[in-house]
Amino acid sequence: MSLRRLPPGFREENIDLDTEEFFVNMGPQHPSTHGALRLALRLDGETIIEVVPHFGYIHRGIEKQAESMSYLQYIALSDRQDYLTAIQNNWGVCLALEKGLGIGVPERGEYIRVMLAELGRIASHLVFYACFGGDLGGQTALLFGFKEREMIHDILDEVTGSRLTTNFFRPGGSVHDVPDTFIPRVTSFLKHLEKTMVDYERFLSTNIIVLERTKGIGILSKEDAIAYGCSGPVLRASGVSYDVRKNDPYGIYSQLDFNVPVTYNGDTYDRYVVRIAEIHESIKILRQCIKQFPEGPYRGQEKASIRLKPGSYYSATETAKGLYATYVVAVSGDKPYRIHTRGPSFANLAALNTMVQGHKISDLVSILATLDPVIPEIDR
Amino acid sequence: MGIMNAVPGLLDPIPGGKHLVNMLDYVANWARANSLWPLTYGTSCCAIEMMSSSMARYDIARFGSEVFRASPRQADLFIIAGTITSKMAPALQMLWEQIPGPKYAIAMGACTISGGPFMYDNYSVIRGANTLIPVDVFIPGCPPRPEALFHGLLTLRDKILRESFRNPWKEGEAIDQPYADRWSEASKAWAELEKIKDEEQAEARRQFKENNPDYKSPYKAVRVKKDAFPEVPRPEAPLIGLSATDLFSIALEQDSSITLYNSDSNEISPDRPNDMPLDIIVSKEKYVELISFLKNDERTNLNYLIDVTAVDWESHFDVITQLMSIEKGHKLFVRVSLPKDDSIEEEKRATSILAEIPSISHLYPAAEWKEREVFDMFGIHFENHPDERRLFVDHDFKGYPLRKDFTHPHIMKRPV
Repeated sequence: MSLRRLPPGFREENIDLDTEEFFVNMGPQHPSTHGALRLALRLDGETIIEVVPHFGYIHRGIEKQAESMSYLQYIALSDRQDYLTAIQNNWGVCLALEKGLGIGVPERGEYIRVMLAELGRIASHLVFYACFGGDLGGQTALLFGFKEREMIHDILDEVTGSRLTTNFFRPGGSVHDVPDTFIPRVTSFLKHLEKTMVDYERFLSTNIIVLERTKGIGILSKEDAIAYGCSGPVLRASGVSYDVRKNDPYGIYSQLDFNVPVTYNGDTYDRYVVRIAEIHESIKILRQCIKQFPEGPYRGQEKASIRLKPGSYYSATETAKGLYATYVVAVSGDKPYRIHTRGPSFANLAALNTMVQGHKISDLVSILATLDPVIPEIDR
Repeated sequence: MGIMNAVPGLLDPIPGGKHLVNMLDYVANWARANSLWPLTYGTSCCAIEMMSSSMARYDIARFGSEVFRASPRQADLFIIAGTITSKMAPALQMLWEQIPGPKYAIAMGACTISGGPFMYDNYSVIRGANTLIPVDVFIPGCPPRPEALFHGLLTLRDKILRESFRNPWKEGEAIDQPYADRWSEASKAWAELEKIKDEEQAEARRQFKENNPDYKSPYKAVRVKKDAFPEVPRPEAPLIGLSATDLFSIALEQDSSITLYNSDSNEISPDRPNDMPLDIIVSKEKYVELISFLKNDERTNLNYLIDVTAVDWESHFDVITQLMSIEKGHKLFVRVSLPKDDSIEEEKRATSILAEIPSISHLYPAAEWKEREVFDMFGIHFENHPDERRLFVDHDFKGYPLRKDFTHPHIMKRPV
């Protein structure tokens, strides 16, 4: 035991320092920490020895609040966890509730769900593209990413009535049907996106500055990725082909033809590449859905009130960030006894400390951008 | 603005001096109102809309506010975008104090007005930004659209244009203005109008009944027809990885005392749905052994920890470890039932640790933070945990929020 006291969270280790040891605080108000995340850094000069994240600056007690809300009211709160793909959170909650109610979704309802979820995935990955480019110092990428995202928001606005917090799915389907303009608008958007994605990739994927700053930076090995419970693009960039849509299919994903992009280096660049490839896969899924979009009812029969049979229910979905699992414990009545959310960002961020060791602070920013965390989903 | 504030006193007595002061006001206000530099501060959903509004489609640069500053010392507009929690509140106040005056604050979104969707039954959200710092403009919405933000910005611009060196900017001006009283006046007036309306309607109803004693309303409640939407059965889920029976028999090899959760017998029924993972109960003493066996056994290979969570039943805690095999895809929930410590006095129960369980963070590094969360929310101590601190709430927070006996002034007690 040494005499000096380390700040909370840091491990007592004897390290040969090249220069002086520094402790630097980053956040909770910082443009590169993607919201209210606070990182405590232990530095040797500018080289990072250890990172200790501190949470709770946006801890809103959603799980406690859910215990005094009905199941349907909770769907609105799930929007506010991962607000970049709120529609996918709705799906995750509804899937767990459907298990408890023992109901399914008609075919058209499933197609609406898949299409909106994939649009949400593209929107989230475009924000990633924008923030990743912005964090590397490229203002152009920041403007690019948000440009196409607005078109998705126009579609979501028309269908759900809201840009970000959609609150659209219900157990057994959705609130209402999609308008007639939905399919033509998605078609024209995809046509536009495919063209612009060429520009986007040319701008970052082969940019020498980006390559220099991302290749071989923040390597996460396959073993570490599994051990830390990473999921989504972070896991797949490390060479593990696990996608809930493929390995544990829900909805109609088992009937659709798409690939799971996997890369094997596990560095910052690979995590970027996986997300860009996922945008292309989402476009592929959307094209199939447009071709097969069926007529018929968009939702199953309405229940007077949502009352789950006593028991516990679990659902797993793949959001843009990774494995989003909802665990519902029902006892009686129309309120949950306990709802727990397993957010992907929380587990992904656990691997941050192993990834940044030996890198500079500027690399920490780009590594954090490729983890793509949404802090309210971590803190809940 | 020290010296400039003395200008009206000097110039007003001189003939034509008043006009000079007015001109100075005009120039200063023009400069201030048209280039408000916002601070880059955003905690949640509203921050994304704030970013959207500064991007190509909406282009906040049209109103002179495109220069988002990361340092409060360079900013003069504080757009409070997103929920404020009790842990964030001191940081927010410090940021406000670091902004040099004249400075303005816009509270964006329902959370910063009243707590918004998190107003009721919540222990951590601050009910409104105006309880912390003086706010000039409130923008409702959850989240407000970029157009709404621009409306708020233009409202603030109008407010700045009315400023004068005769009545210079001072901090806390918004709080001095009795906007809260205006609200109570308005609601009083509204209640009076409602009362008059109710009386008139009651009178009209009474007269109608007198004139038409045999009247029967043709109104019927609108109901959705039962056959409008079909009853869709739940689709059967495919079996992934090992079946529940196989998993249970393998787990029984290691520990013969394990039992199935929510089942009287130890036999798995054949019509059990595939999409609900197997849930087994293990004793506290054999918990780590069993997890270690299941992780390393080649047949089960449960190498991926989904989550560690807990449920507070009145008499005991359940700690649930959710495991998965990333290669094969099957899932297994391992449940440990922990009786609550009865030796602690009634008054201290809510704020003290009531149960303990061995940690599995040496097997799964992912468990470290998940166990910290369970410790933080339920007050369950994890033995041999490398870093057991509060995770989400403040380090000096009293009580464990997700327990059923947790009390807070904002959380209403309801009959179960």
